[in-house]
Formats: sequence, structure tokens, C-alpha cells
Amino acid sequence: MNARLRRVNKEIAEKTRFLTSSHRDCKNDKTSNIRIDLIDSSPFHLKGSFPGPEDTPYQGGHFEVDIVIPESYPFQPVKMKFITKVYHPNVSSASGAICLDILKDAWSPVLTLKSTLISLQSLLCSPEPNDPQDAEVAKHYTTSKHSFEETAIYWTKTYAMPPGAQGSEAKGKSTAIKSDTRDEVAIAGLEKAHVDQFEALGFPRTKVIDVLRRLNYRGANVAQITEDRVVEELLK
Amino acid sequence: MSSDYEFSDEEGDDVFDDDDMGMQDSDGDGDDGMDMDDFKVAPKTTRKAYELEYDSLTQASIEKLMEKDVEHIRGIFGVDASTAGLLLRHMSWNKERLIEKYMDNANKMLVAAGAAVPEPEPTRPSRRPTRKAKSPPKSETFVCSICFDDAPDLTPLALDCTHAACTGCWSAYITSKIRDEAEHACRCMAEGCALVAPDAFVRAAVDDETYVRFQELLVRHFVACTPHLKFCPYPACTNTVSCPAAASKTSLTTVVPIVSCGARGMSSASAPAASMTQSQELVRQASGKEHKFCFGCIIDSDHRPVVCGVALLWLKKCRDDSETANWIKSNTKECGKCMSTIEKNGGCNHMTCKKCKHEFCWVCMGPWSEHGTAWYSCNRYDEKGGVDARDSQSKSRASLERYLHYYNRWANHEQSAKLALDLFAKTEKKMEEMQITSALTWIEVQFMKKAVEEVDKCRMTLKWTYAMAYYLAKGNQKDLFEDNQRDLERAVEDLSELLESPIEPENIPTLRQKVTDKTVYVQKRNTIVLEDTADGFLEGRWTWNVTVDGFDGPEEA
Repeated sequence: MNARLRRVNKEIAEKTRFLTSSHRDCKNDKTSNIRIDLIDSSPFHLKGSFPGPEDTPYQGGHFEVDIVIPESYPFQPVKMKFITKVYHPNVSSASGAICLDILKDAWSPVLTLKSTLISLQSLLCSPEPNDPQDAEVAKHYTTSKHSFEETAIYWTKTYAMPPGAQGSEAKGKSTAIKSDTRDEVAIAGLEKAHVDQFEALGFPRTKVIDVLRRLNYRGANVAQITEDRVVEELLK
Repeated sequence: MSSDYEFSDEEGDDVFDDDDMGMQDSDGDGDDGMDMDDFKVAPKTTRKAYELEYDSLTQASIEKLMEKDVEHIRGIFGVDASTAGLLLRHMSWNKERLIEKYMDNANKMLVAAGAAVPEPEPTRPSRRPTRKAKSPPKSETFVCSICFDDAPDLTPLALDCTHAACTGCWSAYITSKIRDEAEHACRCMAEGCALVAPDAFVRAAVDDETYVRFQELLVRHFVACTPHLKFCPYPACTNTVSCPAAASKTSLTTVVPIVSCGARGMSSASAPAASMTQSQELVRQASGKEHKFCFGCIIDSDHRPVVCGVALLWLKKCRDDSETANWIKSNTKECGKCMSTIEKNGGCNHMTCKKCKHEFCWVCMGPWSEHGTAWYSCNRYDEKGGVDARDSQSKSRASLERYLHYYNRWANHEQSAKLALDLFAKTEKKMEEMQITSALTWIEVQFMKKAVEEVDKCRMTLKWTYAMAYYLAKGNQKDLFEDNQRDLERAVEDLSELLESPIEPENIPTLRQKVTDKTVYVQKRNTIVLEDTADGFLEGRWTWNVTVDGFDGPEEA
């Protein structure tokens, strides 16, 4: 048996043992509520998942990660990307690609799938907007942290919560959102008033949202972007 | 006619006479009276103005240089060779800075270089939750923390930091570092541990092939850190060239540091040379070209006479413009009024400019209003409006034309140079034919090969003279340059034609005479072009029509 297979099997086995024990004394070990599941029969393509950390916009969400174990694991890092859409400066909002040092040059063979997933969890706690994967999200973050968090919460509710759980988890914040009536404006992290304003000029709504998001038409930035500039972009 | 073709000045300028250049080469000395001595065999010892002093070093000699540095540091610091090596690698082989910093704080330096374990801090900051790599080698059941193997015969292995893993994992780890990542510093596998595996540890962990690669990586690192060294860019070649004259950026405005690592062909040289006959061996060498490259820039070939800055400028322009320019030239015209570039994609000749609404005729470019009702055929070639429009059109096309003029000639020579390989093969065949049809010996038919080589070399020069001429500012200097260029080009084309001519047994002696003479002449013309240009750079004679890094701005037009 080669080192890669033995190691992965061991990690998965340990994970299972770990899970049963963590179910037993779940209260003592909240941070590690992490699961690793097989996607198909191959032990080298897995799905990891963990709950969003508390006191962050990701609280209450359930985040799934696609894990591919490369040929030279554990000497080369695992390949991970988010399956669940996440609004975070270091995660691509389109592809789920993750910018984290231990997934690249800071990888060390003693790191495991579990410890890597824990690192991902802590990445959600502490975004690094200066080293962004998604520049638009990072701009949003640096312009207005408050507005960013609102959008991130909205994304968590829309994408990272099972439809049934939304009512209980997100009560008091807003009414339950059905997946077919997603608010594109909120997903883009924009003000409805702004979108309406330009839509009234006769531009299609999706295009307005697209342009405003690209221009980062949020918070203090709104004062710096003239209406003409927006219209110019819209006309392109 | 004897073989020592006296270079006459029938069409050249006196200025370029060899003697005036103070050149003391042995080109003209056919005095040996030997018919065989058509071409000098001995390598030239005197350097020409366009050649630079450089040395070719093998990997072994670079390793010697590295050893010398290591020994030097070892003597000063009193550490072992392996530690001295790690320190030097960490400081990019900058001995002065290393000594300064080491004297400042030796321990800090050792830790930073990964040569020593840091002093245990009283309170260790808790790291990311990783599985403890602590499995003391003494414990009875050693479980490798990497692969979780617990076979009884497993040998734990650790650097000074005691982060143990089994030998198999170490070997796989270091091999993957060296092979996949091309990394020569293999840090300890434990997270956050910065200790680097010393050479002896690496040697013990990997197979021979990987260790060879490891040594190559070390040499590459050393070469990359030393400004006067450059690695040969040819695939699989491991030679290095040392050229102190071109080590600084500023020197690149006055010299063109074309160097050769001394090797030839692709590195299949390890094939059994003994089984080859002498002639086969020589043929093989001939088909493999010399590893010539520029020390100063990224061009992997001889770009003399033009300096790196201008050569790169030209290559960039070619990459950006050529195809587009060709297409624009053949498919579009400019609006006579607003100069927008217009492509006619169908319809009649009555054009209306999308931008300025100017209406004109596609055929004569004149305003449509002058056309009256002559709808589909334009016969008004001499109408004033049309002539004016075409005038301004031609002006705007002139710069494009100028560029294409140079580009086409450049591309032409490049193409011919690519075909040189075919020519080599053809020439070889001819040489064989000659040996059969005439009484000439192998060595006597070498003149063909020599001629082909010379043509190839000159085409290279010619190619780059067009890049140079494109950027040269107008004036007497440029005229002189182009005169030289023309003479060389004419000579090269003559020689090419001779080489392509059919071989009849009865005219072989004449052909041989002609080719030999022409080759010597071409060689001289090439030398003149290269030498004059090189002198020009040294004297600061050349001025450009664009801004080139390191030169004064373009002259007032």
C-alpha cells in the first residue's frame, strides 16, 4: 500500500471515530464539527464540510468543500475549493477557489485534511483583504465592512442553509428566502435605491447590477462615482 | 588565383579597411603555400572589436567555485562545510553581507538559514492544531506521523529538531521537493519548523538521479546569484558562461555580449562516440549548432550587430504589429476626412464613414459627390478630390510601409536561416557526391560546409541589421550603415546562389575556387559590418529615432 492511500484511509477512519466521539460530547469541542465524506468510491476525491464560525457573517451556514488528493500527497498540498458559494475576500465568488498559504507554499506534510479544514474555518473568521482572491469582494470589504457583512450574511442564508433550517436559524433577521426568489441586488451587495435609480433610465436590471458591482458603488464610494461615469459604463 | 583573396576596396570605403581597424587577424595569411589551408584551422587568438572576453565553465568548475566560497566562509566562522553552504545559500552567495550579519548575530543567522534549531522559547505560541510530530525514536512502537505506518521494521529519521518520520516519507518528500518544485532547500516536514536538510541528509534520502538534479539546482542557484555568470539556455546543456564585461546593465549600451558555452548540438553527446567514425562525428557536430546566446538579454541567438535594448524593442514591435499591420494594409483604407480605418465588408463602392458620415468612393477615395451617377464603376481616377484623398492616404500608410519594408526583409532572412538546416543536408550530399566523382578527399570538400556555415552566420547578421536600420535616425551614419549592409547582402546572395548550383565533375575545381573566394569575401564583409557597428556603439556614433533605454533621446526630427 503506498503512503498516499494509507494516509488518506487513516485520516478518513480517524475522522469517523472522531465524529462519533464528537457527537457524544459535542459541547466540549465545538470548533471541530467537521465532516469528511466520500463523493464516489475513490478515496482521493472527498467532500469536507463544516459549520460557519460563530460571531461571523457565516454563522449558521453549512459550508461544503471539494477535496482532491493529488498523486504526491502528503508531500504536495491537497486541492480544495468551496462547493458552497461564499462571500469572502479570499474565496472566489464565482468558482469557490481559495487563497490560503497552507494550500500553496506553506503546506507541510504534517498537516491533515482535518487541520486544513479547520484552517479554512478560521479563514472565514479572519479575512485577508490585502491578499484577495476575489478583488471585487475585497473592495467591498475595504470600502464598507458593514455593507460587506450584510451581503455575506445574505449569501450564507441563500446558499449555505438548507431551505428548512432558514426559518429557525435566521429568524428576526429577515423572512425566509426561497431559492427561486433570490434578491439579485442583495447578492451583489448593492442598495436597492441605487439599482432602481439607474434602471429607471431604461437600462436592464441585470446590467445595472453588474456595472454597479464592478464599480463598487457602495458606501462612501457612491459620492466619488458620478452618475455620468455609471451611465458611460452602462453604455459600453 | 590564390586562396588568399585580397580584400579590395573597389566598392567599400577606405575607412573600413582592415588595417585601419587595427585588426591583426590571420585572415590574409595564405602564405603557407598550402592549398589545403583555405580556411584557417587554428582558433583565432586575437579578439575583434565586436567580440567580448568570456569563459565557458562546466558544472564541475562552477562547483569548484562554490567550494571555494564555502571553504572561505568555513575558515572565517569555524563552522562545518555543510553549515557554511546553508548560510551562503540563504544569503544568495553574498559573502560580504553574510559576514557582516553573522558577526552581528551568529545564532539568528544560523536559525534563519535553517542550519540550527532555535532556542526553545519559554512560552511557545500555540500553533495550528497539528498532530504532534513528537514520537521519540526510543519508544517501542514508532508510528510515522506522515504516513501512519507502524511496521516494526520502520526506522525513524529526524533532523536536529527531532521531528521524526520514516525513511520512506523523507525520501518521498525530498524527492518531490527537488523533482516537482525544483527546490534546493528542503525544510523539515513539521509545520513551522525551518530547519533545512543538510546535503548529506539529502544524499542519503534520495536516489542518484535525484541527487544529480539536486546538485544541478544548487549550481543554478549559485549562477543566478552571481551577476557575471549566466546559464546556457539551450535544453539539457549544463554549461555556464562567465562574462564580467557584460555583468552590468550600463555596459549593454556599448557592447553586444554574444557568447557561446562551447557545447554544440543537443546533449545526446553521451551517445557512444567511439563507435562513430571520424567523419560521422564531424557531421554530427556540424548539424548541431553551436550554443550561442546573448549574455545581456533573453534572446537565445546571435543578435549582433544590434544592442540588446534595440533588439528587444524590435522583437516586441514584430510581435505586436506584424500580423495586424499586414492585415490592415491589405484589407482596409482610411476615411479621407477623419482618417478612421475602414474595412469594406461588402456592398457597393459608395462608402459612408460610420464615424464622420463622409461619403466617398472606395475605388478612387474621392468624395462621392463628384461621382454624379456613375454608380458602380469609377472612372474618375484623375479627379482632384480623389488625388488629394489618395495623397493623404498614402502619407498615413507611409509609416506602415516603412515598417513592413524592414520587417519583410528581416522575416526573409529569418526564414532563410531556418532553411539552413535543409541546406546543410543538401550540402552534405553534395560533398559526398564530390568525393565520388572527383579525386578530392574528404578534407578537401569541406569548403562547401564552411561556405554554408558562413552564409548562415551572415544571414543572422543581416537579419538584425534590418532591426537596427529601422530604429536608426536618418543621417550620414545610417547611410554608411546601409551601404555596408547592402554589400554584405549582395555577397551573401551571390554565395547562396553558388551553393545551389548543380555540380558537374569537370567544373568542380572552378566551383571550389569560386566558393572559396566568395566565402572569404563574405566573411570579410560580415566582419566589417559587425566591427563598424561595434565601434559605433563604443564611440556613441549611433542615434535612434525612438527612445532606447540607456541612450540619449531621439534627435530633433
